[in-house]
Amino acid sequence: MSIISVRDVSKDYLLGKTQVHALRGVTLTVERGEFLSVAGPSGSGKTTLLNLIGCVDTPTTGVVEVAGRDTSRLTERALTDLRLHQIGFIFQSFNLVQVLSVFQNVEFPLLLQGGLTRAERAVRVQGLLEAVGIREYGRHRPSELSGGQRQRVAVARALVTRPALVLADEPTANLDSQTGQNIIDLMREMNRKDGTTFVFSTHDPKVMAHANAIVRIADGVVAGREPVGAMA
Amino acid sequence: MSARLDATRVLLRIAFRNLVASRVRTVIIGLIVLVGALIVVVGASLMESIDRGMRTSIQGSLGGQLQVYQSTSEGQLELYGGLRGESLLDPIPDFARVKKVLSKVPNVKTIVPMGIDQALVATGNAFDVTLERLRADVRRLQANPRDGEARRGLEARQAHVRRLIALLDQDLRQAQVLADPDGRDAALRKAQRADLDRAAAPEFWPAFERDRLAGLEFLENKIAPLALDSGFTFIRYVGTDVEAFMKAFDLAEVAEGKPIPPGRRGILLGKQYAEEWLKLKNARRLDQIKDKRDRFHARIASSEELQRWVKDTRSRAREILIQLDPLQAAEAERRLRPALKAPQGEELPALLARLFDLDDANFDDHYRIFYEQLAPLLRLYQISVGDTITIKAPGKTGAFNAVNVKVYGFIQFKGIEKSGIAGTTSVMDLQSFRDLYGYVTRDKAEELAKLRAQMGATTVSREEAEAALFGGGASAPLVETTRTAAIDDASLLAGVGEKRKAAQALETRAYTQEEIDGGVALNAAILLDDPSRIRESQAAVQAAADAAGLKLKVVDWETASGMVGQFVLLLRGILVFALVVFFGVALVIINNAMVMAALQRVKEVGTMRAIGAQRRFVVAMLLVEIVAVSLVFGVAGAALGGGVVAIIRAAGGIPATTDLLFFLFSGPALLPHLGVASVAASLILVVAVAIASALYPALIAMRVTPVEAMSMED
Ligand SMILES: Nc1ncnc2c1ncn2[C@@H]1O[C@H](COP(=O)(O)OP(=O)(O)OP(=O)(O)O)[C@@H](O)[C@H]1O
Ligand SMILES: [Mg+2]
Repeated sequence: MSIISVRDVSKDYLLGKTQVHALRGVTLTVERGEFLSVAGPSGSGKTTLLNLIGCVDTPTTGVVEVAGRDTSRLTERALTDLRLHQIGFIFQSFNLVQVLSVFQNVEFPLLLQGGLTRAERAVRVQGLLEAVGIREYGRHRPSELSGGQRQRVAVARALVTRPALVLADEPTANLDSQTGQNIIDLMREMNRKDGTTFVFSTHDPKVMAHANAIVRIADGVVAGREPVGAMA
Repeated sequence: MSARLDATRVLLRIAFRNLVASRVRTVIIGLIVLVGALIVVVGASLMESIDRGMRTSIQGSLGGQLQVYQSTSEGQLELYGGLRGESLLDPIPDFARVKKVLSKVPNVKTIVPMGIDQALVATGNAFDVTLERLRADVRRLQANPRDGEARRGLEARQAHVRRLIALLDQDLRQAQVLADPDGRDAALRKAQRADLDRAAAPEFWPAFERDRLAGLEFLENKIAPLALDSGFTFIRYVGTDVEAFMKAFDLAEVAEGKPIPPGRRGILLGKQYAEEWLKLKNARRLDQIKDKRDRFHARIASSEELQRWVKDTRSRAREILIQLDPLQAAEAERRLRPALKAPQGEELPALLARLFDLDDANFDDHYRIFYEQLAPLLRLYQISVGDTITIKAPGKTGAFNAVNVKVYGFIQFKGIEKSGIAGTTSVMDLQSFRDLYGYVTRDKAEELAKLRAQMGATTVSREEAEAALFGGGASAPLVETTRTAAIDDASLLAGVGEKRKAAQALETRAYTQEEIDGGVALNAAILLDDPSRIRESQAAVQAAADAAGLKLKVVDWETASGMVGQFVLLLRGILVFALVVFFGVALVIINNAMVMAALQRVKEVGTMRAIGAQRRFVVAMLLVEIVAVSLVFGVAGAALGGGVVAIIRAAGGIPATTDLLFFLFSGPALLPHLGVASVAASLILVVAVAIASALYPALIAMRVTPVEAMSMED
């Protein structure tokens, strides 16, 4: 069964008095283990789509199913549980907790989940910080980091619970190409080893090149879905 | 389980970090909480101590735990008097029955009958006292004409009376200068003038030597009433089964003299009443100045009130001069001169002026000299222990009743000696109260009427009585019975031997418990075995009274205390009101601060929600924050409050500056007691208020949706 099923979804925003149709009838299916890229120009609705899939927003019309569950039928609490246990989200604007250190930010979802010992958590968090290349910044506060470093914290936080689905909104936008490459490699590694499903939006063709398939989105509709044969 | 713990730990960590991150807000909220806790701790400690003090004062002096009185009464029972004087109570017709019925109620220990009322007491004057002594000398000389000491005493006394007459003469002349020569009382004044002229004439004393008794009669009946300081004072008393009373009210103690023997008639005068109304004014003023100096650290130099008192003391030296006959005056001079380091030959008036020329430097010395050297020569109180006094009161029928009772001693209530509320109450036997009040049980009516006739307790009409009270003693026969100590020496009066015997018989008669119980009372105090079960017992006593057909109203001590109790209620009301206002304001401020905090954290909260934090987590985050602040600062405030309480205690407490406070504090100062209860209450209160003021902000936080965090930049 597919891990994501989006059917006829539209999303309208009210900006002042005008209606903005951010999405207008999107249908999309993502299978488990896919490594999918969502591409499109700025303002085309990439973030909006990821938010709906990530259960942080609700569609105006249409159905969003994640892990086989119709999100419109879930209670607030169940939705939250779904976010905590199934999904890892890398936000475009990072969204770190300012009063917590880098280490603590990454550890935070593990604490919410519970179940791991302090030592287990430390190993997991340290491993990820190392993988994204900010091992020595564990004790720093987010405000003491550069944009790129913050983005790497956000990546580590999304991956730390080893979720079935990772949604990444422009995960490499603020990174130099080398670091971006490392992050993509890390994600690919998880995809391969654990079968983690990845959906990420990007403008970067180099990043797109790593995907199984690219969903092109423009002006709130899916313009097409094409496999990336070379990398498969 | 450990998941919970982890979540809690991160919750605490975030709360703490947020508190540190927004220091200004934390300190503002913290200070509000701190002040709140401080006010509550100090306020509650004071209130609790006042409560305890009042309970001690009321329960231990007159109240007991419960009070009963006739339910048909027009007024309510007010143990310490109300605005309009004493309570208007219907009498309980047969106290014995009340006692019988209520004694059977479980938890009831004692029932003490009472009748509280005011009456008039005749106070003697210097003239009376001197004439008494003169009469004693006369009697001794008559028994033994060779008695040299009596002869010397007589001469000294005569000199004293001569001086008093001279003074009276002066007073009267002054008064008559002011009076209209053709006025209404012209005839009376003329007669007084003639009498005084006769007494002041040089022939008077040789004539006195020829017929001393006739001379005495003339002085007593015609001259003594002219003395202006003769008069009446009001006395507030409780007529009661004195033996039961002293046993039931553990604060009561006989300060001077001895208890009234069981079953006897008699009175114990309120010590504080004696101090205020019966004591020689100079001595009283000295006491007051000393009290102000010692307890309130007032100084004569800086206190206008003390300066006034000093002046008053100086101008009252004459009252001392009047009291002393030449022998005593010489003795006083002999004692005062060395003590005051006065020049040889300085006379008493100058010595007294020297003694009462008080300032802060010499006060303590002069106070001591007064009490050590001069006071033993003086009659310090207008009524002394051992005197028999005449008490008058309007009875039930409106006519004045009078009884003579022996003063066995002064009574005071431990801890509240100085309180004008309890300390001015005198304790009298129940029989005398009934006589005064005019109520008797039917079977005793006759007997008592006979006794009253024998002892000379006269029932006079109200008009006559008022004439006697306010007409300056125009009605001679009445004055005779009211003149204080004259009754004690009644046998000296020609033809009153019988009367004296009757009075003595009444004085020494011991009444049985049946006689004491079998009659009227106005109210009765009930003391319980277990005072904490007062509510339960109040209902039980009421039920028992109703079942027995007794028309009784049962009230608790607080209600029975009337205005005093209401004052405490008022104090408590003020405290509660202040707290409500304070915490109302605190609620608004903390609420605003926390709303700002919540709004500032929309992104943080949204992010947490997006990552998978439940609503309850973010609500808890805010609440933990506010609880932590209020606990930390609350504890600090409570500790500070404890410090304030300790400082107040170390400084000797809050001094009782008025009689009412003395009574409420149950002592000269309020020593607030820091109770675990008040500390706990303050913490619970401030935390509760803090949580209440964080509820709306918490709701805001709860409503934050994850998507709200998305559209914001870091
Ligand atoms: N909260 C919002 N309120 C109003 N309009 C919104 C909101 N979020 C997005 N939009 C609008 O919806 C449309 C799609 O926005 P979205 O952020 O999904 O685009 P995007 O493809 O992610 O763009 P970018 O590449 O710049 O991130 C845009 O026109 C945007 O202005
Ligand atoms: Mg976007």
